[in-house]
Amino acid sequence: MTISKAVVTVAGLVAVAWVLWYFLATPRPARSRGERP
Amino acid sequence: MTAAPAAGPVDAAPAGGGRRRVTFPVTGMSCAACASRIQRQLRATPGVREASVNFGTTKATVELDGARPRDVMQAVREAGYDVGTDTLTVAVADLRSALDTSRLEHAIREVRGVLAAVANPAAESVRVTYVPGFLDPRDLEEAVAAAGYVLAVPVAESDPVERERLVREREVRDLTRKLVLAALVAVGAMVASMPLMAAASVGPADLLARVLMPLDGALRRALPWLYAADPQSLKLALFVATVPVMAWSGRGFYVSAWRGFQHRSADMNTLIGVGTAAAMLYSTVATFAPGVFTGAGLPADVYYEAVSAIIALILLGRLLESRAKGRTSEAMRRLLGLAPRTARALRDGAEVEIAAAAVVVGDIVLVRPGEKIPVDGVVRGGRTAVDESMLTGEPVPVAKGPGDEVVGATLNTTGAITVEATRVGRDTALAQIVRLVEAAQGSRAPVQGLADRIAGVFVPLVIAVAIAAFVVWFDVGPSPAFVYATVVLVSVLIIACPCAMGLATPTAIMVGTGRGAEQGVLAKGGSALEAASAIDVMVLDKTGTVTEGRPAVTDVLVALEVVDRMAAGTPADGEAAVLQLAAAVERLSEHPLAAAIVGAAAERGLVLPEATGFRAHEGRGATATIGGHAVAVGSATFLIDLGVDVGPFTDAVDGLAAQARTPVLVAVDGVPAGLIGLADPIKASAVAAVRAFKAMGLEVVMVTGDIRKVAIAVAGEVGIDEVESGMLPAGKVAVVKRLQAAGKRVAMVGDGINDAPALATADVGLAIGTGTDVAVEAADIALMSGDLTTAVTALELARRTMRTIRQNLFWAFAYNVVGIPIAAGLLYPLAGVLLSPVFASAAMAFSSVFVVTNSLRLRRFRPSVAR
Repeated sequence: MTISKAVVTVAGLVAVAWVLWYFLATPRPARSRGERP
Repeated sequence: MTAAPAAGPVDAAPAGGGRRRVTFPVTGMSCAACASRIQRQLRATPGVREASVNFGTTKATVELDGARPRDVMQAVREAGYDVGTDTLTVAVADLRSALDTSRLEHAIREVRGVLAAVANPAAESVRVTYVPGFLDPRDLEEAVAAAGYVLAVPVAESDPVERERLVREREVRDLTRKLVLAALVAVGAMVASMPLMAAASVGPADLLARVLMPLDGALRRALPWLYAADPQSLKLALFVATVPVMAWSGRGFYVSAWRGFQHRSADMNTLIGVGTAAAMLYSTVATFAPGVFTGAGLPADVYYEAVSAIIALILLGRLLESRAKGRTSEAMRRLLGLAPRTARALRDGAEVEIAAAAVVVGDIVLVRPGEKIPVDGVVRGGRTAVDESMLTGEPVPVAKGPGDEVVGATLNTTGAITVEATRVGRDTALAQIVRLVEAAQGSRAPVQGLADRIAGVFVPLVIAVAIAAFVVWFDVGPSPAFVYATVVLVSVLIIACPCAMGLATPTAIMVGTGRGAEQGVLAKGGSALEAASAIDVMVLDKTGTVTEGRPAVTDVLVALEVVDRMAAGTPADGEAAVLQLAAAVERLSEHPLAAAIVGAAAERGLVLPEATGFRAHEGRGATATIGGHAVAVGSATFLIDLGVDVGPFTDAVDGLAAQARTPVLVAVDGVPAGLIGLADPIKASAVAAVRAFKAMGLEVVMVTGDIRKVAIAVAGEVGIDEVESGMLPAGKVAVVKRLQAAGKRVAMVGDGINDAPALATADVGLAIGTGTDVAVEAADIALMSGDLTTAVTALELARRTMRTIRQNLFWAFAYNVVGIPIAAGLLYPLAGVLLSPVFASAAMAFSSVFVVTNSLRLRRFRPSVAR
């Protein structure tokens, strides 16, 4: 049980980091940022 | 023969060369984040100068500079959405006898904005599928003519509001069907879950369970067979019933969520999609592989009823929202409903009744008393009074005779008139107003940018919070930890929909601008309303704003010996001579005072001598040569500058000015010959309006080109303490800039011509009393009547609208600030309360409905100053 808690905690933290990175941190391609050519 | 509906080129040629603004419907948007995503994609499209997408109206407005409609549609599709299309049936004469209709179909498909055309020779009609906004009916008419056919009825651009109503109706119907299925399954699933829940592991902590538990006993008596049923069979039946709810009723959420995910953006669909999918996945595993849970010592519970109930409640919210949005465009519908459908035109000397849309420029139309005038035009015969309240808000009919302009959709009251049409169709004043209101309703207020940015960051944060809550519950929560953790994850995702945030601003702007149009206040957009809600100083122009702007000659004083010497006794009347000289010079001037002098001369039947070498000195006076004599007309300072000794008239000038009359001096060959006094009556509404401005806490400043004494006399009568007199147009700009430099936000009301630079400089420019022309284009807010109290109405409306937006945003945020911690289980350690996902979805749906309803309250806005 302790091992599964550790696994879930690590997986959860990775998921949180990934979600924030995927939606927020990665710069969007310039095309979709609304800059005119 | 009828050809298959092949997709034709949306455009054969670039969009007419120059820039064009086009508004078209976008389908598939479900939240504010969708709107900003499409907007980004459109702005990145080459040849698109500006793009704004409004979630409230589900419309996009683009300014095309070289881009073709096809490029725009491509961009919308790339963003994962689609352009709304519509169909139109045009009647074509003699199509029945045509052997081959493919040429006609092909010609129509080549028209810009047309997607498909199918001819039906039996019905003598062609069904055209097109993109609203891109299609110009005139192009369609030309294409039909070029193919050798004749349209039986002219294609008036089909009523955009009616079209919108139909789209809305379709949406409501679609949502209703999906809701009915989801709701039936949800109720059935809840009943069928009771026996399962009775033995469930998440017990009295769950709010929903607490509510439902008393029902358990009753149900056990009513449906004993249900409790006797095999739990595994019940789970299977629930699974079978829930799949169609997800696949059909909830399909839109999953599709949008996936599209958003691909574009690295997350919105409410992501939350609902992930939340319900998590509940479904958990339940499916518990149904088909219960060993996974039981093997780990966990109960194999199912949450099918939560999936259906969440989808049903969110669809219910959408449905209410869709119906409320339909009501927000009511103002437009009322405006368009003002136009009469038919007109009586003179064709070949005979009176024929034709569709109002078929009237062409130059047509003579007959309008009887009690009828509405069908188009804009000039009266050619008859006299009447016209009720123009629809345009100006002023209830008193205006007298009209030959040569006077009349506006379409206004009401002819007393006499029969004939009108020559000067502007028809899209060019009429009403059409312009409708376009303006439509554009304003779709515009974005600056405050919206904030809401969008927050919503974009908000959803990923919520997902992060939900995962974190899951981990915490799993690690330190009560047993069975995995079950509690899943419930919390789903609840957080479901409760945190930013939908209310997305609706907060656009719905208020839509209702506010629509209500304004009904009150004679045309705001150019959300930014105008936002600026008008926060001003500190009201700058009023005198002539035309505080006063009627129609000055009349009240006094003429004469230095007789001069006139005698010059005119040798004829005309005998010295006053007439002074007027005659002044009018001869001023005839060439465009100043309102000049018009009054010329008018007074015309009233007395004076014949004006010819003036040569005319020169206007802006805001000061004019000079010309008449019969070899140098004549100067203008203010006392102007004549002094010219070297005229105005001494004899000094007392008279001061006397007139003290009575709020403007003195104009006339000099001949450098000698003062006479003095003309002009008075401009103060508007009845000015006093009440100034009082209202002051009550709103505004500083009121009057600016005028007139002399100080007149300005002070007028200001005193209406209650203004601060006066800037002797101002040329540039001086008015300087006054506005000086106030702004002092950190004040300035609104300026003017009649839009000589005040234009100051109107543009001010934070908010209000053009007064100009219903149709350039002024509407120039100002931020156009006031349709000359009544100064409409400026008060405009400010009140702006304040109310912004207050509504702030309330909406506050509610939307406060709701999340309170809701998310509860859903995450913060109350559990304190009060032992846990929110069920079903409650979370009900709360979410309510927040959206609350915001829309709050915006709709603006429809009841009434101006405080009665007109």
